[in-house]
Amino acid sequence: MPQIRMLTDKVRLVSEPTDKFKTGCISVSMALPMDERMAANSLLIYLLKRSCKAYPDFSLLSGKLDELYGAILGAGVSKNGESQVLTLSITCLADKFALEDASIQLEAAQLLSDIIFNPNVNEGSFGDEALATEKRLLIQRIEEELNDKRAYAFNKCISCMCKNEAFGKDKYGTVEEIEAVEMADIYAAWKNMLSTAVFQITVVGAADADKVASVFEKNFENIVRQPAEIETVFIQKSKHFNRFEEKFPVNQGKLVMGFRAGMSHRRDNIFAMTVMNDIFGMGTYSKLFANIREKMSLAYYCWSRLIVSKGILLVESGIDTDKEKKVSAEVLSQLSDLRNGKTDPEVLESSKRALRERHTFTTPEGILGWYSSQVLSDEIITPEQMVSGIEQVTMDDVCEAAKKLSVDTVFMLSAQEEAEDEI
Amino acid sequence: MKFKKYTDNKLGETVYCGKHPSGLEIRILPKEGYTSTYAVFGVKYGSIDTAVKNASGEFETIPEGTAHFLEHKLFESEDLNAFERFAKTGASANAYTSFEKTAYLFKGSENVGESLEILLDFVQNPYFTQQTVEKEQGIIGQEIRMYQDLPDWQVMFNMLKVLYSHHPVKIDIAGTQESIAQIDADLLYRLYENFYNPSNMVLCVVGGIDSEKVAEIVDKNIKRTEGAMCERKFQKENPVPVQNYIEEKLSVAQKQFMLGFKEDISEPLLSLEDEIASQIMLEAITGKASPLFKKLLDEELIDMGFGSELFNGYGFSCVMLGGTSKDPEKAAAIIKEEFARLNAEGISTEAFERAKRKFYGRMVMSYNDIDDTANMLMNLYFNGYEPFAEIEACKNVTLEKAQERLAKIKDEYSALSVIGPIS
Repeated sequence: MPQIRMLTDKVRLVSEPTDKFKTGCISVSMALPMDERMAANSLLIYLLKRSCKAYPDFSLLSGKLDELYGAILGAGVSKNGESQVLTLSITCLADKFALEDASIQLEAAQLLSDIIFNPNVNEGSFGDEALATEKRLLIQRIEEELNDKRAYAFNKCISCMCKNEAFGKDKYGTVEEIEAVEMADIYAAWKNMLSTAVFQITVVGAADADKVASVFEKNFENIVRQPAEIETVFIQKSKHFNRFEEKFPVNQGKLVMGFRAGMSHRRDNIFAMTVMNDIFGMGTYSKLFANIREKMSLAYYCWSRLIVSKGILLVESGIDTDKEKKVSAEVLSQLSDLRNGKTDPEVLESSKRALRERHTFTTPEGILGWYSSQVLSDEIITPEQMVSGIEQVTMDDVCEAAKKLSVDTVFMLSAQEEAEDEI
Repeated sequence: MKFKKYTDNKLGETVYCGKHPSGLEIRILPKEGYTSTYAVFGVKYGSIDTAVKNASGEFETIPEGTAHFLEHKLFESEDLNAFERFAKTGASANAYTSFEKTAYLFKGSENVGESLEILLDFVQNPYFTQQTVEKEQGIIGQEIRMYQDLPDWQVMFNMLKVLYSHHPVKIDIAGTQESIAQIDADLLYRLYENFYNPSNMVLCVVGGIDSEKVAEIVDKNIKRTEGAMCERKFQKENPVPVQNYIEEKLSVAQKQFMLGFKEDISEPLLSLEDEIASQIMLEAITGKASPLFKKLLDEELIDMGFGSELFNGYGFSCVMLGGTSKDPEKAAAIIKEEFARLNAEGISTEAFERAKRKFYGRMVMSYNDIDDTANMLMNLYFNGYEPFAEIEACKNVTLEKAQERLAKIKDEYSALSVIGPIS
């Protein structure tokens, strides 16, 4: 069971100490509303990752991490419901594995808190060159989303489906917004993050949670907290069906079908929804894998993914462009079977077994991910609680959950006729 | 069967190694506190095996992509397929084919003994018909198309194509649409007979299981006893690449590049010490803390994804560096200059020690993960090493050795591969 404590207003520390791992991991998730600050927030998190007062440039900080036996400093931006979550994390070796006496864990915890609370700021500036570099890298990162057509199509389906909702926005903000960010915006974003973000500090493995708590508590002493209220709009049913298409010179088309899942909040009917999604298209025993891939040989992959933080479900598959109708019709026909109880009872048992396994985390990163994704939930649920909820799900529950799905948006990334090289 | 124990006290791990009478090598690492177990059953048969030794001792050419094709097909049987069987134990099963091996694996925490029996059983029971082979040609065809659209994949294979004149490392792991069309059930049976004999295989199990239990299950489930480790043909390559430059246009946002330096090798395999010395040398010269990284970043020639590695196996070895760049040729020139400078002036002790410490830390960290650990045990075995040899080799690497490895990197043996956007 994890230990949970509140350090200050909406700053929660969740820890699962264990000595079975070689490492200790600390992650700090900071949830903010998806508002006009998104671009500045994104740049901020990457600027913070570059340096701090004690190691004022990128090379020095990287050198310090290497000296700490290759400690891994991570920074990221993600969407969690209609919230932009900024994350900074550090993973490093447990002290006992050092080749000479060292307190890697404590140094790493201090370094992480320095990066957040004591950045390399001089008179409100993070450095013009640093900002210019991070702008270039972030814009490049956004433009490169195009390189992975599978992820591109997936995100594009979401942005088409949720174009009138905050969830349809790009997690980083737009390229135009990023270009327009000024230094003063970054400084304001930093101050805003410290006072208004909903924080969760998650500590797993060899890291000493008490020490982490006191390092962070001390830093929050001088900060006036006014935590943001973060709400996510759940649209339970599709209002009308839309299809979007983009053509690219590629070999394989990507079909993504977006469904509204009939949920009214992120834990609404969560156990049945999880099992339903698994049977629909997660496991190798799932309807989509067994039929679209194995039986009909139409695709190498065809999966469904449930995004509980927004109450939507997406089906994705890499197919020949001219097979779109055939595949989408088959997906809907499999859904119809699922709704009508045409599922082997053995499959329900397989799904429960597999979900039990999927909630048995074998790495500190897995445990960290499970808890940190709950930054916006008032109550933490453990993997064990999730599993026991799943155990209770019946085939009727699965059918009912499937009946709540309504197809909303299809996004098709089509292959243009000519995909020849022109050198 | 008898096991030999290998213990690394500092690391706190013990591996049990044994040779089953059938010829099968077994390596087990029981992990205290872990409920899950990961098992991998590997065959020394990968995409570079494009020739098979026949009865008269001559090497006979076979189509490209057979190892990967067999990997897909072994999941099938006359009755329940392997996925359906694993669904009953809850374990998640998978397989992969790389340049030098094919690996079948599962991970699970319940019914581990039963899952292990299924793993051993399905890999030992081939079942192919013309019909199932044809079905798989459709699925693998889609898999090949998917990879053709992935720039990271293409940039590497294009580089291998120009770096190597005849070594099969240059061919795609899955083969081509044309080569897989030549595969039929008879050929698969023949290749299966040749490669899938216990002496050419290894079983590595890591996690919540003990060695006696594994031995008992192996005793009951290994059928074949004849056979020997398959030989590979070593043909020395001319170190000079076929071409020095290759460019392909794909639907990408920015140029991507990979710079490769082929090594002039006279023996088919590098020693583990050479391998690790190269990795540490590359980290010291090109890592995030290095002056080279800073220069490239400041000149806007790379992004944070820039990285380098030694890529080696039977009959091939090269150093690869790559990332996204607006000017790959300029980036390549700066990298070459830095190699030349450090070849003349020497790598600093400080940079070397920092890189070595990072490398050691990351190696220890990898023991967190039962998946990584089992795969590493397998690789060590196939390359003729005992457990923990990699950690010992890392500790023993000297600056002189790293410098020696740097001297092997030569401009005249290099090639640049670029993926550019379709304008």
